[in-house]
Amino acid sequence: MIKKLLKYLSSLRFTILLICLLGLMFIIGLWVPQARLLKSIYLEWQRNSPVLVAYLDAFGLTSIYTSPITVTLWVFFFLNLALVMWQRIPVIKNRITLSEAKIADPLTVKGYSFQHSYQLSPDMDGNMVIALLRKHRFAILGDGTCFYGVKNRFAPIAFILFHLSFFLILLGGLITVYTRFMGYVDLAQGEPFKGDFSQYNSTPPIQMPQFGSLPSNRFTITSIVPSVAGFTPTGISIKLVDSQGLPHEAGINTPYSAENASFVFNHLGVAPLVILKSPSGQEIAGSYVKLDVLKGKADTFTLGGFNFKTKFYPDYVLEKGKPATRSMEFNNQVFTIVAEQGGKKIAEGTVSKGGTIEFAGYRLEVRDILYWVRFYVVKQYGVSVMYLGYAIASIALIWRLIFYRKELVGAVRDVDGVRYLHIAARSEFYKDLAEDDFTKFLESLLGNGRTNT
Amino acid sequence: MAYWETIFFWIALITYSLAFGGCLYSFIFKNPRVMPKITILLTFGFFAHTAAIIARFSATGHLPWSGHYEYALMGGWFIIAGTLFVGWQNKALQELTVATAPLVIVMMGYGYMQNPGLTRKAASLKTIWLYIHVYFAWLSFGAYSLAMAAGVLYLLKRRNEDRSVSNPAYDRFPSLGRLQELIFRYIVFGFITDTMMISAGSIWAKDLWGSYWAWDPVETWSLISWLIYGITIHLRITFGWRDKRMAWLAIVALSSVIISFFGVNLVVNTSLHVFQVR
Ligand code: HEM
Repeated sequence: MIKKLLKYLSSLRFTILLICLLGLMFIIGLWVPQARLLKSIYLEWQRNSPVLVAYLDAFGLTSIYTSPITVTLWVFFFLNLALVMWQRIPVIKNRITLSEAKIADPLTVKGYSFQHSYQLSPDMDGNMVIALLRKHRFAILGDGTCFYGVKNRFAPIAFILFHLSFFLILLGGLITVYTRFMGYVDLAQGEPFKGDFSQYNSTPPIQMPQFGSLPSNRFTITSIVPSVAGFTPTGISIKLVDSQGLPHEAGINTPYSAENASFVFNHLGVAPLVILKSPSGQEIAGSYVKLDVLKGKADTFTLGGFNFKTKFYPDYVLEKGKPATRSMEFNNQVFTIVAEQGGKKIAEGTVSKGGTIEFAGYRLEVRDILYWVRFYVVKQYGVSVMYLGYAIASIALIWRLIFYRKELVGAVRDVDGVRYLHIAARSEFYKDLAEDDFTKFLESLLGNGRTNT
Repeated sequence: MAYWETIFFWIALITYSLAFGGCLYSFIFKNPRVMPKITILLTFGFFAHTAAIIARFSATGHLPWSGHYEYALMGGWFIIAGTLFVGWQNKALQELTVATAPLVIVMMGYGYMQNPGLTRKAASLKTIWLYIHVYFAWLSFGAYSLAMAAGVLYLLKRRNEDRSVSNPAYDRFPSLGRLQELIFRYIVFGFITDTMMISAGSIWAKDLWGSYWAWDPVETWSLISWLIYGITIHLRITFGWRDKRMAWLAIVALSSVIISFFGVNLVVNTSLHVFQVR
């Protein structure tokens, strides 16, 4: 019974079944809203069909990629892989060993799909043919009268290498999962990053690593320069200096990475310096406020007991008497601000840099307009292990499937004073195409030494 | 679309349609001699196609590789380039046009109906990993398409051989044995480039989004189609699948690639980025 089970676990039938089942889980995951990936859709759906969602939750289908079913399938996948690879080792060993037993008569040998005889010119002998084959990277056993040759002998090893690279990717993946810190932090120009827990945003929640610690990076943002053409953001340059005073630059596709942590640009916002002055002209409050107002979004801030609702127009124009923006370029930055007190609107105005609005004797001044950025902060180990896995997988595939094994057996014999090269050849994977390949190859190899075929 | 791009786009599309019509004529009227002329027509269309891409490039300043229209434009270019290349190496393979031309016509037509407007290159697309990622995606798509086309030729020729009166138009095709090995050869090339495409995409995602894999629908579909081709290779190598089964597999498997290129948001609309990089 156990033997039978083990046999099934290490069979390729089981492999195919596992891959199909994993594929099926992934497809289900595309249809069923995933709690982690699409939180809002998931929550709405949960409200509408609580019973169904409860069932799906119970089977882990709403977080399918980490559900017990999927994890079990992965465990079997790697178990099956390990067992099959282990079983294959003797087969591979056998395939790559060079042995005299492989020398055979090309006229009678079995299992070689290509067979042909070439008439050689008298000045060409078996040793010369062997020398030519060696030049084309064939390893040869035997002598001019009868020989065996193999090219890309070690290709079958690449098969093992390719499948083992999955373990490397798994290892890298597991390390990243268990050592991963994830959080978001909003930083305005001039603001230092101190790395404290409290400096990270509370939503989305910070993910602490099972093993590891908070990123230890410290730096200050010195400038943020977004560039936009029309309505397309074309880049952003974020300059910062680290705690040693060394300058760095980050942007889209080029996160600031140091000490195993990367700070990935995630979002841009506007940070105006707003000052509130009392009726007597005294500054009573003031700060850079981080507003999330790009792409027409509205945002609010409070200052000195007042509430302010804002909208932002990066390239302001008046269209039919209404504020609008000509593009997303930061050409003419203007805020519309509604001041409220106790929930009641008390004033509104349109303000650009240096402008003010007045209400109940107070003045709100927009003294400066800077930017802030949201960084997605990730610290994890193991990514390079995974990348190594990718590299090995790619190299091994090329090695295995393009530089596949080619074997031949040959003999040079004189019959009635005419010299013949008899050759039988085969290559992995292909039969008819191998025939075409060998015909071409041998004709070019023998060149002038071949009088006719 | 840029002015010259529109003109060359339509010339290419019409020429490909004529080439496909020529293939049908060759089969229906049992005339194998027109095939070289069809290849000349296809080459002409390919030059127009290239000119359309150049016109778009000069209008936008970047290679067309975002949005459905641009995928169709470049993906189609790679498929036709592959068809012409293998047909140039082996005349018998010029017939692949019968399946690759309609695929490209439908793709380009679909792309045209989506978003052919000129766009500037978004900041997220400025990275070497994108070049590597997209380049291998096209190569892989092109190779899988050729595998599909070889599958179609195999089935056509097979059906013809089973008939009592055979059609000489099919005589130009490679032998059945060669065709089924070609299916495998193209799948292998597609699979290698697919592997590189996914690896490069993952490295790019790490830089752009901070995580190398997020189970986004596009990523998930790519993984599914990679697994489907992995299964196909296993079935061929270790279970010895050949003949009609292999041909059908090559044809059906292509649909998974088409879904990851164009259709993820048709099938499900929950993608985080469905190629619309934020
Ligand atoms: C449990 C998992 C797996 C097992 C046990 C397994 C096993 C095997 C075996 C025994 C071969 C035949 C080698 C030969 O006869 O020379 C093979 C070939 C192959 N497998 Fe897998 N495989 C697994 C998963 C995968 C996956 C997920 C892929 C990719 C999608 C894959 C891709 C390939 C390829 C491309 C080949 C042909 C090239 C070669 O021989 O290396 N395999 N596999």
